[in-house]
Order: sequence, then structure tokens, then C-alpha cells
Amino acid sequence: MNSVRILVIATIFVFMLLIPVVVASGNDSYIFDNELQVNEGITIETSIHIEVVDVNRIPPERAKFRITSYQKPERTITVFREDGPQVNKYETYRGTSIYFDVIGVYSDSVQFSVSGPSNWRVTDYYDVETEEDLEEVADAVTVPKLKITRTLDIASVQQGQTVKVTFKIKNEGNGTASEIELDESTITGAYMEGCPASLNDIAAGATERVSYDLKIIDAEPGTYELNPTLLNYKSESGASYSSESTSNVLVIVAEEVLVPELGIKVTIESDDDVITCGDRFPAIIRIDNIGNATSGRVTIKSHLPDDVRVADGEIDPVYESIKPGDFVEYDVTMIAYEPGKHIIKMDVLWADAEASASAEFWAELSGFDKYYIYILAAIPIVLILLWLIKRRREYSF
Amino acid sequence: MLNILILGLGQCGNRVLDAVNHEAFGSGGTFAKYYSRQKFPASVKTIAINTAINDLKGLTDTRAKDRFHVPHLHGVGANRTLGKKVFDDNKEQIMSEIDKRGSFELIFIVTSTAGGSGSSFAPLLVKELKKAYNAQIICIAVLPFREEGSIFLQNTAFCIRELVAESPNGILLVDNQYLKKYAGDIKSAYDKINTSVAMRVLFLIEALNSEMLMVTDLGDLKTVMNGGIGIGTMGYYEAGKDGTIKSAILGSFKPSGLLFPTNVYNEGARAMLIIKGDKKYLDLDLITKTVEELSTDVGQVFKGVLIKKGRPKVLSLFTLNSVPELERIYADAADAIRFEMDKREQSKKQLDGAFAHIDDLEPIY
Ligand SMILES: Nc1nc2c(ncn2[C@@H]2O[C@H](COP(=O)(O)OP(=O)(O)OP(=O)(O)O)[C@@H](O)[C@H]2O)c(=O)[nH]1
Ligand SMILES: [Mg+2]
Repeated sequence: MNSVRILVIATIFVFMLLIPVVVASGNDSYIFDNELQVNEGITIETSIHIEVVDVNRIPPERAKFRITSYQKPERTITVFREDGPQVNKYETYRGTSIYFDVIGVYSDSVQFSVSGPSNWRVTDYYDVETEEDLEEVADAVTVPKLKITRTLDIASVQQGQTVKVTFKIKNEGNGTASEIELDESTITGAYMEGCPASLNDIAAGATERVSYDLKIIDAEPGTYELNPTLLNYKSESGASYSSESTSNVLVIVAEEVLVPELGIKVTIESDDDVITCGDRFPAIIRIDNIGNATSGRVTIKSHLPDDVRVADGEIDPVYESIKPGDFVEYDVTMIAYEPGKHIIKMDVLWADAEASASAEFWAELSGFDKYYIYILAAIPIVLILLWLIKRRREYSF
Repeated sequence: MLNILILGLGQCGNRVLDAVNHEAFGSGGTFAKYYSRQKFPASVKTIAINTAINDLKGLTDTRAKDRFHVPHLHGVGANRTLGKKVFDDNKEQIMSEIDKRGSFELIFIVTSTAGGSGSSFAPLLVKELKKAYNAQIICIAVLPFREEGSIFLQNTAFCIRELVAESPNGILLVDNQYLKKYAGDIKSAYDKINTSVAMRVLFLIEALNSEMLMVTDLGDLKTVMNGGIGIGTMGYYEAGKDGTIKSAILGSFKPSGLLFPTNVYNEGARAMLIIKGDKKYLDLDLITKTVEELSTDVGQVFKGVLIKKGRPKVLSLFTLNSVPELERIYADAADAIRFEMDKREQSKKQLDGAFAHIDDLEPIY
């Protein structure tokens, strides 16, 4: 009887030895497969705590879990419904893995499974103690609790501009906060103007707003992280507390210089870039203000080859101003008289800057001009022929 | 300026006329007519008249409007009787065609005496022209090759008689038979003869129309042509390198330069000499002396001197007192006519004899 008992225990012991090996080899089974409300939690094997922090039904559907376990920092993981268990792994201090799989997400609950070693069991179900719950508990003693939020009126600032930094300090505790000291650090090249170092007492539940100007003087352009603002304060009982704001990101961009910048473009309209000598052809001139400021008076100056005339239109007009992003366009009709390559250069002058553009085209003699010499040569031949024909007629009976 | 008309009648006359037109273009050759102008030494009008349209078509240097076709299909086949009838039927058109060209002081009629059309038209034309114009009329009559047959001989005989009867100002003879020596074949002989005649005609016209050093004019021509029996011919000589003007003048009387076989020294009645050439060759004393010498043999000799570039060229034109060669032609012609008549009679008799066999018989069917 005794020996039988020993045998049974021994057998169980052997089994117990074998099981972790099986688990380690990945032969997992479900430890938990059920629905939990937000702020409900389970404990697995008395040491792993899993709490539902948040659910989100807007695709991708997901649930956020807070996991704490022996010898490991608290961790929050977000599990997407469709990801499957393999992706969402949590490893214990000892190296055993458990896997999360979200099966369904509802308005304030989630159905999910946890798989892991087959001998592991859920050892506890519990409700998470929320802050409000805690407050209720703390109500008895009066404790101030300042919550500081820092906001910047603009997240991206140019050199030379000023950022308005506002602190919203809310006393979320049940006691007045006094001797409040504000410790704000700044970035190099910026200057804080009107930033208070200490604040008046803030009663429980009250909210204080404080702001100062952060003048960006010569900070290098770039992305800066503003360190959290530190608040040190005391309760009525004289206990010291502190709290921090989150850090903020500020982007500093190089100072934008406002200048007009003009571009000119000349387009000659012709088939295959060839113009017939003596024929009129249009040229379109366009001036674009590609800068960021309105230009002053704009003068256009043309440089035409000697044999090119303007037949119609004003080629050197003057414009009082051109707004940024705007353009003016005009066209003129020209005539080229000589064959060959031609370059038309156009300058646009404004303030003390100028830009130029040129257009090229070939001028060719017209068909008639080309054959003119041959036609000239042919005339006497034709006349002679006609004369010969006439003579032949005269002598043929 | 003289107004001259040259009429070419029949094939022969047409072709001589064509040669005149050709020569008038100068030395340009076949194509001269396409670019050049005729350089007649006077106002010259030409008309080629023929019954045979093909003869007219064959001309090359005569303007189409100067070719007048007398409608009678393909010539009159050497039948002068028919030719005369055709002329009478078309007289008005022919005369109005001539009339269109104005009035004339000198008219040349060029024809063969042997064919049908030209030889029959020529005498009738002389008659009509004399009625219509107060012009000197000179006939250039081309005699046939003797072996061309008896009809050509007969025609020649009657043609010349009729011509003389109509009394033009003169008849200048050109003898194909005599000039046969120019070339081996008939075609080139014709061309040569035609060119020779043409050159002489143009030379003569030039002389008559020019302001000459020593003048010959239409009056002189008339006088020369009036000499003898009014029948004559032309001679020509072109001086060689070192010949004198005398030898050139005498050369133009030599048989080699004549268009008709004759002995000028024996038979010449009156003559006209036209000397053309560079002044340096023209020794007037020598010319005068030579002409005087000639006059003792030839009778009156008119002379004209034309100053023109080139070696001396001499044209002689004369009338004859007697024409033995012509007599021979007439004798031959008479023989031929008689022979023809006999033959025709015999043939007729033979035919009558043949018909006699069936005299009193009727066909039986
Ligand atoms: N010199 C010369 N004689 C020619 C020429 N053509 C024909 N004859 C001669 O002219 C004679 C024939 O007369 P044609 O002029 O042909 O006759 P026709 O006047 O046209 O008359 P039909 O033809 O009969 O209607 C022949 O003796 C030919 O040798 C020629 O070009 N030059
Ligand atoms: Mg004929």
C-alpha cells in the first residue's frame, strides 16, 4: 500500500518533470479563452497579471493589455484582432512564453485567449483599481496633486519668431498645493520671457494657467525636444511632491526671407522650330514670380538679332508689380529676314536683380526665295522654248 | 528698198524657193530658222505654190503661211492641160494670196519646165501678174534630165514656148542635166542645184538693192534681159587665194560656173557683172578694163561693184542670141512627140484589130 503510494507520487513527479519539457517544446494549450471587461484582470500561475486597459472597435480592432509579472517591469501590449497568437508573445522572467490572441472586440470588453504551457491555469480574476477608486481611498488625508500640461501655440517656428508656451496646472488632489516652484529648461539660442519661477498656491480642484514667451533668437533650425517642466510643491502638512509635464517637440525652421524672384521664359511658336524668312511668327514671353514677395517695378529688355524686327506688339513692356506665384504673359509678332540660326535673348529686371532667357530658332528662305534663282534661270529657257515652239509652228505646214 | 516677190511653182520651184529661204538665214545651217532672222538684202516675199500638198509639207525653211496649196490632190501628174485647168479654177485665190503681200517691182517665178503643175502655171501666172503689177518678171526655168522621159521633154518644149509667148522680162535657164555633174545621186544633185540657184538669186537681189560703187539697177537688169532672145542664164565665180579680179570676172563666164551650157563669148547678147568683195581686192581700173575687153565679145556689159568683206565673188547674168542646147531639146521633143503619136496610132490600130475579131458577134449565155 505504501509502496503503491510512493509509486503514484513518483509517477506524478515524473509527469511534473516531463510537462514543462512539453510546454517548452511549444506544445501549448489554452490557459484562458474568455471575455473580459475593460479594467478587469486575470492572474496566471499567481504571478502573471493581465489587465484589459482599453479596447478599440474601430478597425483595426484591438485591445490593450497591461502585463506585470515577477521580476519584470510593467508592460502594455496592444493586440490586433487579426494578428494571431504567434505575433503577440510575452516572455516571463524565466523564459516561458505565453501568447495572446484577440478573438472579438466589443464596446467595453474583449474576448481573447492566452495560450501557454498546458499545465498553467488562471489562478485569479480581479477588477483593476482605477484612480478614482484610489482617490476615494485617499480622500481621508488631504494631499495636493498637481497635474501640469504644457502646450505650445505653434509646433513649428521660424527663427526670429516667438512661441507662446502655456502651462495648465490642475490640482487633482484634495489639498492645497503651496510653495510651487516651476523649473523650466530652455534650448540654446532661445530666450524665455516672463517665465515665472514660482507660483501662487493652488487649491484642490483649481486650475491655474501660466504662460510665457519663448523667443527663438538664433537657435539652429532643427527639431528640438523641450524637456518636461518640473513642478515642486508642498502640501499643507509640509510634505514635498513633484510632478512633470510631458516633453514637447518644437521644430525650428530657418527664417524665411521674403523676396520676389522672377523667372522669364520665351517661346517661339513654329513648326519644327523653323521660321520662314519674311514670315510673321509669334513669340510668347512669360514672367513668373517664383519668389515669396510681390515684386516692385518689372522691366523687360529684349536683345534681338539685327535682322529680326517686331512686327506687332510691345516687346519691352513694364509691369508695376507681380505678386508671388503670379505671372504675366504677353506675345509679340516678329519677322526674321536672314536665313540661319537666331537667338532671341530677353532680360527681366526688378529691384536690383535680373534674370534672362533666350529662345533659338532657324530661319529659312521660303520655297520661293530658295528657287527664285532657278526660276530666274528658267525664265529665259522657257522663253527660248516658247520661241522655238512658235518658230516650229511657223514652219510646219 | 526694192519690193521683190519670189514664187516657187511645183515641186521643183518650191524646193528652189525653200533653198532661197534657207540661204537667207546665212551660214547658220539647219537650225538657223529657230533662232535667226532671214537677212534678205531687200524686202522679199516668197510663196510656194503647188497642187501637191506633200511637196509643200516637205519644205523646211519656208513659213507655213507662205505655202499655198492649190487643191488638186497629189499634183497633176505632169499633165499640163490639167494643170492649166486647175490654175484657171484657182486663179482668184492664187492672185489674192499674192496680192496680200503688197506690190512688187521685181518678181521671180521659179519652176521646172517638165512637170505638170509648175510648168503649166508659170506662163499663166506671167500673164496674170503682168495684168496686176507693173513689175519686172523673171522666170527661172529648170530643164529636166534628158533621160527623164518624153513627157518631160514635151512639157519643157511647150512650157518654154508658152513662157516666151507671155513675154516676161526674161527667162533664166537652169539645166538639171548640165548640173548633174555637181553630185553622184539625184537627191544631192537637186540640193546642190537648188542652193546654187538660190545663192545667185540672192546675190542678184543684193546687187540690185545696194548703194553700190558702180551701180546696177532694175533698169540695167531690164536692159540686159531684153537682149538677144530674152533667154539667158547665170554664172558665178568665187576667187581663190591669189587670183586677180580679172581672173574672177572671167571665171564667172566659164562653163563651170554657169547654170546652163552655153558659150557666152559666142552666144552672149548682153551681160551684167556684179563684183563683190573686200575693197583691197577690187582694182577698179582692172575691173573696168576687163569689162571693156568682154564687151567686144559679149556686147553691152553692165557692171556693179559691192564692197563687202571677203574674197571677190562675181555673179554674171546674161541673155543669149541663140540657144543651141534649147534647139536640141526641141528637136528631141518633136521626135518624142512624133514617136508617141506613131506608137499611139499603132496601139490603137492593134486594139482595133483585136476588137475586129468580135465585130459581128454577140455574147452568148
Ligand atoms: N533642180 C531641181 N529639179 C527638180 C527638183 N525637183 C524636181 N525637179 C525636176 O522637176 C521636174 C519635175 O517637175 P516637178 O516640179 O516635180 O513637177 P510639178 O510642177 O510639181 O508638177 P506635177 O508634179 O506634175 O504636178 C523634173 O525634171 C525634175 O528633175 C529639185 O529639187 N531641184
Ligand atoms: Mg509635183
